[in-house]
Amino acid sequence: MDVWRITWFTVLCAAGATAVALPPGVVLAWLLARRKFRGRALVETFVSLPLVMPPVATGLILLMLFSRRGSAGHLLERIGIEVVFTWKAVVLAMAIMGLPMLVRTARAGFEQVNARFEDVAATLGAPPARIFLTISLPLAWPSVLAGAVLAFARALGEFGATIIVAGNIPGATRTLAVAIYGYAETGQDSLAFALILVSVAIAFAALWTANRLVERSAT
Amino acid sequence: MLWGLLLAVAVAGGQGTPAPKPITVSAAVSLTDALTAVAAAYARTGGGVRFNFGASNVLARQIVNGAPVDLFVSADEAQMDVVAAAGLLTEGTRIDLLRNQLAVAVPSDRPRLFKSIRDLTDPAFRRIATGDPAAVPVGVYAQRYLEKEGLWALLQPRIIPAGSARAALAAVEAGAADAAIVYRTDLRVSLRATVAWVVPVESGPRILYPAAIVRSTTADVEAQRFLDFLRGAAAARIFERFGFASARP
Repeated sequence: MDVWRITWFTVLCAAGATAVALPPGVVLAWLLARRKFRGRALVETFVSLPLVMPPVATGLILLMLFSRRGSAGHLLERIGIEVVFTWKAVVLAMAIMGLPMLVRTARAGFEQVNARFEDVAATLGAPPARIFLTISLPLAWPSVLAGAVLAFARALGEFGATIIVAGNIPGATRTLAVAIYGYAETGQDSLAFALILVSVAIAFAALWTANRLVERSAT
Repeated sequence: MLWGLLLAVAVAGGQGTPAPKPITVSAAVSLTDALTAVAAAYARTGGGVRFNFGASNVLARQIVNGAPVDLFVSADEAQMDVVAAAGLLTEGTRIDLLRNQLAVAVPSDRPRLFKSIRDLTDPAFRRIATGDPAAVPVGVYAQRYLEKEGLWALLQPRIIPAGSARAALAAVEAGAADAAIVYRTDLRVSLRATVAWVVPVESGPRILYPAAIVRSTTADVEAQRFLDFLRGAAAARIFERFGFASARP
C-alpha cells in the first residue's frame, strides 16, 4: 500500500541522511567543543544556518549547486551521478537540515567530558585522533546518539528543501511530508490524515528516545 | 553499513525499471489525478512518464535553476512566461492545453444557488476565501473577475487570502469562511462544500493551463510524443472526466 511504501522510503532516506551527516557532524562537534582555530565562529554559524534559514532557500541553493549547470552537479554528471529529482537529493536535503541538530547536541556532550582526561592522554603522548576515539567519543556517546536521533527526526519531517531539490515525484522522491502536501492539495484528506498519524508516531518515538538519551548523559 | 543503507534507499526509492527512461513532466499539483489517469492511458501506448507535481511557481523556479525537466504543464500563463523569459522553452512547442473556470463554493450544510455573482454581496457572506490576490493565481483571477463585475471595492474587505485554491476551499469546508472563490475542478472531490455559482466562460477571466517542452531536454522526441498525446482525443476525454475543458477552440 502507498502509505507503507512512502513511510518505508522516508525512514530509509532519513536513516541514510543521518549516516551521511554523522562522520562530519561528530568531527565538527568535537572541533567546536575542544579546539580554538581561526574561523571557528564562522564554521559554527555556517553549520547552524539551515536551522534558521527558510528551508525553501536551502533547497534553492542545493538546486543551484547540484543541477546540471551547477558546479557540483556538473562534476557529478561527468561520473554519471544524477542528484536532482532522485532519492539522492532527498538524502542530501535531509542531511543538510539534520546536521545542525547533530552538531549542536554532540558538541554539548563533548564539552561535558572532563578535559583533564584528554589533557592527561595528551601529556602521555597520545595523538589527537586516538584521544578522540578512545576518550572523548566513548564518554560523549549518549549525546552523540541523541544528536543523531534528533537529526533523524528532523530529516523525517523535512519538506521545504526536499520539494525544491528532489521534487514531488510519486514512486521516486515522495516522502511523508511531501505526500501529505500532495494529498492535501488534491483533496484526499483521509490519505493525508493517515500519513499525518504515521508522522506523529515516528516523530514521537524519535524525540522520546532523544530525550531519554540526553537525560542519561546528564546524570 | 553506510553504503548498505544507501543501497537499500536506492532499491526502495528507485522504480527498478531498466527499460527506456521515462520523461520527467513537471505539472501543476491541481492536475495530479487527471494527469495520472492520462499517463496510465499513455503507458498502454508504450510511453513512460514520471511526474513532479507542485505549485506552478515552484516548478518554474526549479526549471529556471536547471532541474532536469522535459515537459512543463503550468496552472497559469504567468509561470510559463517566467520560463519562457529565461529562454528555456523549445521554440514553437508551447500550447494552451486546458481551460478552467472560477466557481463560488459554499458549505454543504448551507447550500445556495446564485442567480448571478451579485448574490455574493449578501451580508451572510462575511468571510470570502480565495487565493492571495497578490501572489496566488486563483486570487489574481478572482480579483480580475470581481473588478470586471464592479464588485471588488465592495467585497475586498471580506476577502480572506489563502495560499492556494485548495486552502481557500478547506476554509469553507472547516466552516472558517462563508464562501470561497476557487476553480470549478476543486469542487469535484469536496464533500463538505458545494457549488453556488460557476462563472460562465464568456464573462469570466481566461484561465489557461499552458504546456511546453523545456529546451534542455535530452528526450525531444519522447516529450513531443507525450505532448501530442495530451492534446489528443483520448486525453481530452479523461481531462473532461476530471472537470477540465480542452483549451482548443
